[in-house]
Amino acid sequence: MAERGEGGDAPLPASIYSDEQTVWADVSPLLEAACRDLRDGELIHGENFSLFAAMSALEIMDPKMDSGIEHSGYHSIEEAIEDGAAPIPLSFDRTVDVQCTIDIMDHFLACEATWHKGHSLAQTVFSCIYLLRLDRTSPHALLHSYCRIMRATCAAVISVVSDARTHEGRVVRLCMGHYWCCMDFTTCVGLSFLNSMSLEEDLFTMAYGLPLKGEGDEKCLSMLNAVEETISRQLRACKASSSKKGILENIEPLQTNLDLEEGYCKALLCRLRFRKHFYHVLMCMKKPQGRGFELARKHIASCLSELAYIYNSLEFLGFNAYGSCQNDIEDSTTASGRQPVGFDASLNSRLAAPTPPRAIKILSWKKAIKYFEKLLHDLDTICSFSMDPLLEGILRFVVQFQKSQPDLVARAHLQRLLVQDGKLYGRDPVFDVICRAAAVSDVPKNSGIQKSEIVLQLGQLAINLLKILCTNAAWQRRKLGKILQDWSVIYVQLELASKRDFAETPNILTDVNVSMKLSKHLLIWTEEQIYWIASRFLMLGFELDLYSPTEYCMVYWYMYVVLIKLAEATQLRMGTSSDIAKRKGKKKRDLPKDLAKDSQIPPMVLLLQCYICLSEGLTMMLAALRNEHKIFQRPSAFNTEEERFIQHFELLQRAHVPGHISYMLFKESTSHAQFSTLVRYNYFKDAQRIAKELRSSFSSDSDRLVELRQIEQVAEHNWIALNVICQAGAEDPSLKISFEFSHHPCFAIATVKRS
Amino acid sequence: METKTSEEAEGASVEFEPSDIEYVSYGGEHHLPLIMRLVDQELSEPYSIFTYRYFVYLWPHLSFLAFHKGNCVGTVVCKMGEHRNTFRGYIAMLVVIKPYRGKGIATELVTRSIKVMMESGCEEVTLEAEVTNKGALALYGRLGFIRAKRLFRYYLNGVDAFRLKLLLPRPEINPALLMAANNDNSLLHDSNKPPEGSSQHY
Repeated sequence: MAERGEGGDAPLPASIYSDEQTVWADVSPLLEAACRDLRDGELIHGENFSLFAAMSALEIMDPKMDSGIEHSGYHSIEEAIEDGAAPIPLSFDRTVDVQCTIDIMDHFLACEATWHKGHSLAQTVFSCIYLLRLDRTSPHALLHSYCRIMRATCAAVISVVSDARTHEGRVVRLCMGHYWCCMDFTTCVGLSFLNSMSLEEDLFTMAYGLPLKGEGDEKCLSMLNAVEETISRQLRACKASSSKKGILENIEPLQTNLDLEEGYCKALLCRLRFRKHFYHVLMCMKKPQGRGFELARKHIASCLSELAYIYNSLEFLGFNAYGSCQNDIEDSTTASGRQPVGFDASLNSRLAAPTPPRAIKILSWKKAIKYFEKLLHDLDTICSFSMDPLLEGILRFVVQFQKSQPDLVARAHLQRLLVQDGKLYGRDPVFDVICRAAAVSDVPKNSGIQKSEIVLQLGQLAINLLKILCTNAAWQRRKLGKILQDWSVIYVQLELASKRDFAETPNILTDVNVSMKLSKHLLIWTEEQIYWIASRFLMLGFELDLYSPTEYCMVYWYMYVVLIKLAEATQLRMGTSSDIAKRKGKKKRDLPKDLAKDSQIPPMVLLLQCYICLSEGLTMMLAALRNEHKIFQRPSAFNTEEERFIQHFELLQRAHVPGHISYMLFKESTSHAQFSTLVRYNYFKDAQRIAKELRSSFSSDSDRLVELRQIEQVAEHNWIALNVICQAGAEDPSLKISFEFSHHPCFAIATVKRS
Repeated sequence: METKTSEEAEGASVEFEPSDIEYVSYGGEHHLPLIMRLVDQELSEPYSIFTYRYFVYLWPHLSFLAFHKGNCVGTVVCKMGEHRNTFRGYIAMLVVIKPYRGKGIATELVTRSIKVMMESGCEEVTLEAEVTNKGALALYGRLGFIRAKRLFRYYLNGVDAFRLKLLLPRPEINPALLMAANNDNSLLHDSNKPPEGSSQHY
């Protein structure tokens, strides 16, 4: 029902002028009449009003739905300011003023981390009244310079994430899509966001109505530097006077309590310097083609050391906090434990679209520091990337990078490095990258092949793949599953085109030769990518916890099939590339020794062989457990294992990755698995043996050595488990067998316990 | 949407025989306050009365209530419709109140809804569950649901969700299974034709 305004008994006017065409009208009498007409359980139906549409209605005064109930009381920023919610100076006591400023800085850091972690800018960083009215702060140089660099930093971060926004996804359920458009009860409007889908970056970069850019923000560094200079002089003066060396300069101290001068100067300096270096990091990383990375790394190191100083100021600030600190420091958003002045998240709730404005929990100050440490380490990893020109190396780097589960801001930076202007690193045309990857040596000049439709599409697919690999794991898996079909289609097209080329150009032998070779290389390479994507898709399922133990058997079986195909394609590609190496090598005298052994299997293929053995071993062990111990199988009321097989591998099957794979085949290959045969032919021993042999091939690659160690451990644990199970026999009901991912995220180890 | 049930009993539970529980298909407006009270109590998301009406008016035969000695102790609310060329059932809310958990009431409620969906020609059934809701995940796992996708920070509290999916066997492939699932459905109503143009809302 409509409520009267704040005037209490004063009647509302019949209408309030809005503009030339419209007036605001009080609809209370109409609603009251409608209510009298309707009986309980009756509903109004209309062409444009269905039950579905009715779901977006709001129930006023229901605290779960009506965020207006928990309103702070201020109707506008101006009202809050007039009421003294954000005073300038923060206090006429200069010590208190400094303390409060530090609290604001700390709370900003917590807000910023909360924003990066997936909440809206409006409800986090821009809940600061000072930031919303930045010009007001100009008399307070310290606060002003800090707010200004905060704003410039937010704008810089948004720009990176916007650049990378093409793919990253996060389906946000907007409850039933209730959203306050207007807080005034007499004119409330509910907007429906049913079926909304919002991307992770969309929510991140949402900045409607926020004063994100302002004149003079480009000068934010010089302002900050000036303030930093003043405070460092104050610190020097304070140190000099305390060591009785006499006053160097006639400098007014930062605040009035001289015992605390040094502590406050230091606490401020590390906060200011962190901001300065962090902004530099963003600016350096923005430079095209990674040109600023070296300098960025220096600033990252400075940021990390300033963060350590910030953390260490905890004791000083907590001890000297004025007033009472009710907050537990673990939950507090400031080092002092106090609530900061000048923040009000509800003021912006109208700008928080499209999420319903709900109260959010700001990360604690300690967690915020941890977040920034991780972010900086992730950025450092990006900056130290060698910018490998080979796609294979890039894919490996990205997968490795993702293992530490970097957050959106770090991932966006990686994506921007990899793909700029449709080129790798903004530098190498995709066609060149693919040719290098596919080991194509002689691209016929002016052959126009670069511009052929298929090659262009292949380039686009490669670019998309890189972008997808930079997204969060959940979204990445869905996208990888979907793009498999595109890759399969292009594979078929390439195959057809190569046959057609051969048929159409029989005259010019050399051209045919070159073009045939190009087609062959591209085909092999494309096939390899398809199986690489498929294996990543399957492995991500483990990381996302999508498989239940009763499904492990089929998943490892499918993985085994895909990995065999991948190893075959990789071997083929490497075979073709070693052909080239051989030819080139002959011209030079210093032929590298390992190239001479080209008849051997390349280490990369052997590494895949390890995973093939692990997959097959796990498949067979699980199958034997099902066959002989009757565990890890799940009869269900509504469907069979076949339906679950179809569902899990639907996207692979639709793309024929690989062809002719069916549930029947899976059943055939696993239904006879027995422990007695498993112990005789041991896949785990094979994996372990190959991994050991490979150590010398990867002796200079520490990541690969770690990988080999993992393989050995998984193999060894499973080999032991296999023997224990085998010795105990199927009749022993006291054996409890479970699978754990303690040594590898995708390859489980069986643990056997007696109950 | 949400599920609040666990086959692991929590806290004080009530002693009763499974046969003491009476399962009833949604029977009209008098059931609505019972459903609303249960869902409001147990689930965090705000649903207006219109949300409930949307489901129970359009698909009354897919909603069930469980009673013990006249008290409503559990409910399931569902819908179905065309989704990307697939006729799909959707479990919107499932609640069993705490003292009655762990006794198979939720399984029975969901099973009844799914049977009606199967009869009505649904090819699959879906729902979302928080990744941390072990009870719900186990329950749906036993029924044959797989975790098809993970939805990154799906809930507004930042928690991921799983999209759970149950692919129903096509009758021509496996008629025996369908017949088995169709036994004992005397409580079920005639299958209603689904309204056109309805869509999932997640």
